[in-house]
Amino acid sequence: MKKFLSILLCFSAVSFASMIGLDALGEEQTLGGMASMAGRGYAGSAKTGEAEGISLMNPARIAFDTKVVFNINFLMEFLAIEHNEEYYTTNTISIPSFNLSFPMGNYGALGLSLWQHYASILDVESEDSTTVINAKMKYQSSVYEVVPSYALRIPYLRNFSLGASAHFVMGNVERSLSLGPDNSEVSKNDSWATNNAKLSDYVDGTWEVKNHPAYYSIALQYRGRQTSYFFSFTTPYTLENKLNYNFRFSEIDTLAPTSYTREIDVPMTLATGMNFRFKKRNNVMLDLQWRSWDDEVENIGKSFSMDPITKTQNDILLAAGFQRDGSPLFYDKYWDRITYRFGGWYKGWYVENTHELGGSIGAGFPLGRKGTTLDLAFQGGKRFVDDGHNWEETFIGVRLGLMGVGNWGSTAR
Amino acid sequence: MKKKFILLSFLAVWAIALSACLFDSDENALSSWLSDQGMPDSYKVQTLSIEDLTPISAEVFLDTTPRSANDRAIFGRSANIQHDFVMDFGFDKGLLGTLKKADSAASFLFLRLLPSLYKSKYFPKDSFPIEEDLSVKVSWKLTRSKKSSFLDDVMEITDSEWHKSLLKWKPDMTVDTTYSISIGKKDSTLTLVLPRALIDSIRSEVSLCRLQLRLSAPEAKHVYRFYGPNYLYGPQFRMTTLSDTTFTYRNVTPFRVADVIKSQEDCSDCQVLHGGVFDSMVVEFPSEPIMKGLSEFYGDDFPYNLGDGNDVRQAVVLAQMTFSRDDESQGFSELGRPIQVVVGSFMDSATTTFRKMEEYKLNKKLITKEGHPNMVFHEGDSLTLQVTYGMREFINKASDGRTFKMMMRLGYPVLQEKDDAYKNYITSKGDTSYVFLSQFDYARYDFTESMKKPATLKLWLASKRGND
Repeated sequence: MKKFLSILLCFSAVSFASMIGLDALGEEQTLGGMASMAGRGYAGSAKTGEAEGISLMNPARIAFDTKVVFNINFLMEFLAIEHNEEYYTTNTISIPSFNLSFPMGNYGALGLSLWQHYASILDVESEDSTTVINAKMKYQSSVYEVVPSYALRIPYLRNFSLGASAHFVMGNVERSLSLGPDNSEVSKNDSWATNNAKLSDYVDGTWEVKNHPAYYSIALQYRGRQTSYFFSFTTPYTLENKLNYNFRFSEIDTLAPTSYTREIDVPMTLATGMNFRFKKRNNVMLDLQWRSWDDEVENIGKSFSMDPITKTQNDILLAAGFQRDGSPLFYDKYWDRITYRFGGWYKGWYVENTHELGGSIGAGFPLGRKGTTLDLAFQGGKRFVDDGHNWEETFIGVRLGLMGVGNWGSTAR
Repeated sequence: MKKKFILLSFLAVWAIALSACLFDSDENALSSWLSDQGMPDSYKVQTLSIEDLTPISAEVFLDTTPRSANDRAIFGRSANIQHDFVMDFGFDKGLLGTLKKADSAASFLFLRLLPSLYKSKYFPKDSFPIEEDLSVKVSWKLTRSKKSSFLDDVMEITDSEWHKSLLKWKPDMTVDTTYSISIGKKDSTLTLVLPRALIDSIRSEVSLCRLQLRLSAPEAKHVYRFYGPNYLYGPQFRMTTLSDTTFTYRNVTPFRVADVIKSQEDCSDCQVLHGGVFDSMVVEFPSEPIMKGLSEFYGDDFPYNLGDGNDVRQAVVLAQMTFSRDDESQGFSELGRPIQVVVGSFMDSATTTFRKMEEYKLNKKLITKEGHPNMVFHEGDSLTLQVTYGMREFINKASDGRTFKMMMRLGYPVLQEKDDAYKNYITSKGDTSYVFLSQFDYARYDFTESMKKPATLKLWLASKRGND
């Protein structure tokens, strides 16, 4: 292929998240991208408390909560992209998850999450000096999950809880490459025919789990006086991406699309973690999540010289973090009521040869006396890619979570 | 509380500012990355010519349903098509009373010739004077009633019902007559004296009366075009009376008129198109040579049979079908101007197929040099028609075994065949430049020979295939 876009003058209207795995599944929003979890390096799924809320890897945890928790999470991420010693910067804003947990005392606890599990976003436009047609590249894919969960403390073994969740997958995908003509193989006398002929290589489709309504997670949690553990298992599943491929002149001037379904075998996930509490309000935590990909992921691809597959590797998350819980007493000093966090993580992506190393600091600021908290986390890190093909990304992110806590359902003591 | 928010906002702004300053941004990084991913910056266009395409069939369809001629009326015969002129009148009792009392009466028809044609600078000057001894069959139907609402009821008969009734025309009386026509350059009216029997039967009774009057001239050498009743200068039926020494006249305008056509073509296997009438020709090409041409060009299988069989590996940017033509032997035109050939294709829509008119993309260089390629009656020996929509749909869905069909018919005469505008426009001086004449040419073009000879298909194809 001819060296890309020597004729390009500039790009504009750029917005994208990580472009690694763009054609496969996109970027995974680890653990729902919750600001409170991110602040401690994505560790702490084993941590229990009054109002810890949902952990997407550990549905058993909410059995120990006593308060209703609702949280909404925002992410603002800045990326610096390095490729062949050239840099490019961009940013993105997204809402990776909403979570609601509802403890019901001896009846267990219910939870509901909306999680943007995988997403890829790219929106770039280029200006071409030789034709009036701009090239536009747009990717927009999100694999959403609606996750109801239920957890119950085991009778007689009150330090243990069991939890299960079902992940109902939905979402859609769109890829549109709007291009102008390349007349290099057309004789000069014939080039008139392509005037203003803008074409879009257009694909759209939907996501769902093949043959099942959902995939499932089960978890066991132990809460000790100082140390807590969890273990969870998530079933393997096949993601079904029904796609319509088209090559169209405009939205109303199209071919009859051809349909194709790509299937992505997502392996089972094993996750475990521990939380060690000392001096009442200090916690050290360690989490491990492991997913062993056997098969490569088929790409949206199928056009031009785009790769047909993305090779995979073992997908591992190793996270360690610290958290000093804020004082629950509203008459304590404000700085003492703030929750402080820091942590770090290593994540092997599902994309072969892609490794992410990151660190974060965070804090939870109580707002008012009722337990409403604003979680803020700053994170930074780098995604290393050593296949010479993808680029490396350095990221800085700000995550903001708004958590509301209520006492519904629990009686006054 | 306010302080905390100020602190948080400050932190967020600081983070944004910091990240913006940290890195130098360079668009080359993005473009080189996109290139490495195999992302295109343009689609590749290739041209392919498929020669020796002989149509499987070519069929002509002539719609002989009478049409309203309320705006522009026509009468006579041209290019083997006979145009009968039918008028619908209503007479009230007052008028008929006067007619009946008179000692004698006569009737005439005044037809005001269309100045936009006959006075146009594009009308061939050597055509004047238009002269012939025109044999006309004048036939009529009179319907009478004493019912006061009779004429209102007649007016309520819809045009479509009336047109349908004209196909089964059974006149009360037919009179053959001959008119000596001579239209000079300055003439503006055609006056026809109507048979005595007509006015006599009209005035024979005093009651509300509807007259349907038809003029046919199957042997006419020309067609005559004049204003319809929608214009102030529409056709006028004049009745004059003479009582003692008093001469009176009264003009009546038909409330509607129609053009009833009849084909006089005697070759049923011929593919003849006529101007100004609703006829069209559907040409069908076999699928195999086109599929074979594409297979050889791409080295892929055509038709595409995977999955649902819809082929989106390439799209037709433009397609042209070129036929041979010989105007001398194949055509007859009244006005001597080139005539555009209008093209349509057949497209699927839900459960049905509809005809979509093709767009015409301008090859400006060629047009200014040789004129539009989609015309008959001008220099050259080929007719090139754009069939982009049809060919795009055909290749996309060829797996269902369909053939390629296109429709063509004669359009308007072209006044400036080398003007690349292809529509009337206003010049920088503020004058209107007419590319088309606003009147049809009642021409005839016999495509029988063209359809026997092979045509050439030229395709401009956009491909999604990779380079390697």
